[in-house]
Amino acid sequence: MNRETLRGIGGVLIFLAAWEAAVRTRLIDFDYLPAPSVIAAALVEMAEDGEVFEEIVHTLRAALAGWLIAIVIGVVAGAALGLSPRARKYCLASVEALRPLPGIAFVPVAILVFGFSLETELVVVVIPTVWPILVNTMGGFAAIPSRLHDVARSFRMSPAAATLTVFAPATAPAILVGLRLSMTLALVMAVAVEMIGNPAGLGYAVVREAAALRPDLMFAYVFIIGVLGIVLNAALIGAAKLVLPGEFKRPRAEWSRT
Amino acid sequence: MQTIFDLENVALSLSVNGAARAILRDVSFSVAQGEILTIVGASGTGKTSLLRLLAGLNRQTSGTLNFRGTPIDGPQDGVAIVFQDYTNALLQWRTVGNNVALGLPRKLDRAGRAARIGDTLRLVGLERNAGDYPWQLSGGMQQRVQIARALVADPSVLLMDEPFAALDAMTKAALQDELLRVRDETDASIVFITHDIEEAIYLGNRVAVLAGSPGAITRIFAIDIPFPRHQVTTRERPAFLRLRHEIHDAIGGHA
Repeated sequence: MNRETLRGIGGVLIFLAAWEAAVRTRLIDFDYLPAPSVIAAALVEMAEDGEVFEEIVHTLRAALAGWLIAIVIGVVAGAALGLSPRARKYCLASVEALRPLPGIAFVPVAILVFGFSLETELVVVVIPTVWPILVNTMGGFAAIPSRLHDVARSFRMSPAAATLTVFAPATAPAILVGLRLSMTLALVMAVAVEMIGNPAGLGYAVVREAAALRPDLMFAYVFIIGVLGIVLNAALIGAAKLVLPGEFKRPRAEWSRT
Repeated sequence: MQTIFDLENVALSLSVNGAARAILRDVSFSVAQGEILTIVGASGTGKTSLLRLLAGLNRQTSGTLNFRGTPIDGPQDGVAIVFQDYTNALLQWRTVGNNVALGLPRKLDRAGRAARIGDTLRLVGLERNAGDYPWQLSGGMQQRVQIARALVADPSVLLMDEPFAALDAMTKAALQDELLRVRDETDASIVFITHDIEEAIYLGNRVAVLAGSPGAITRIFAIDIPFPRHQVTTRERPAFLRLRHEIHDAIGGHA
């Protein structure tokens, strides 16, 4: 573990200690703000009960499945728009008009169509998650230096070979930016739709425990969601390092920073 | 001697901001098997456009442009290109070895590929850099990578667009000598674009002068200075100095 990580953990520990002290000394005194130690006890209680693991699986499945669908749509559409100025001319206005629509607005629609189900969650996750991937992929493909098009042509590559060996890798850093932004968004949307739509998973659990006046359990669920976000991000960076070793060794690869 | 390229009254217009702009007019010359033809001209005379026509990356507006007797309809087999901007032309995410592999024919097996890549990297003095990434190398080394990538499939023609223009004087001289040595070992015909009159004479069997706007080949000089050439003594020869003077005048005295 490097020094930066240790300092980061130190910062978190100092914050938790201050929180604990402030609650115990009644420096801050809210009815439903438990101390970190109480939340930790709730986590242990949840782990022993075991239901939380099913809830984690449910939310993860919705977030990741939605994210994967968004990747397929976003990368394919983004590549097509990025490579074809004509396609951009026809579609960019639609993209810009649809992009600001808040995904959460689709919850009632999705519930009407799909009921309280995983499909409802997927609809709400996919719609906003597509955009960061599509826009970054499009920008990446559109920004490929014309020289690389020359190189692909001079080696007499087929369009498919040129896309796979030259254009896609040249665009990979931009696509990865989109993947990172959208992964966090997918988790957020999955939790949100579980809070206000499909009563399942971690999002519903937060609301349920709040309604049951169990702030310790509620905070414990919030903590789990936060940890999931960190783990997913780290897993994505790890996978990208395997796929793009050259890009990661490069100094100042700005997209690899958090 | 066999003719590689044959151009007759080639003209090129490109659309610039919606209006047609004449880039080249009435360009006629030919390139013979095994020769180094350098094309020298001031900026804006259409040097790069002319090379793109030879490479099959652009089509002429009028005139005939034949490669081995057949009209060019796109990039041709056996013709390799070295661009000036090595940073963009190399695949920065691939190692040096894998960049060079891009030029190899697909039918080669794994061992054959590795051997061919090794040989070509040795030819340009990069045998110890196969595992490096382009961005870890100096400009001169990156340009060597691009030259190796062009040479790896043993092309019969090498098209070079101001390949040494972005390099410092010492690296440039070293790469000029390497190019001449490589040519002796591969026997490829070379069309070499440059704005540097001395470089054009030093490398060329013939020097074609591209002048005017739209540009045209106004004169072709035969360079009867014997090979091997030497960075100091060749450039001191009376013939070299006389040619430098004549080409300078032919260009219009501005290059």
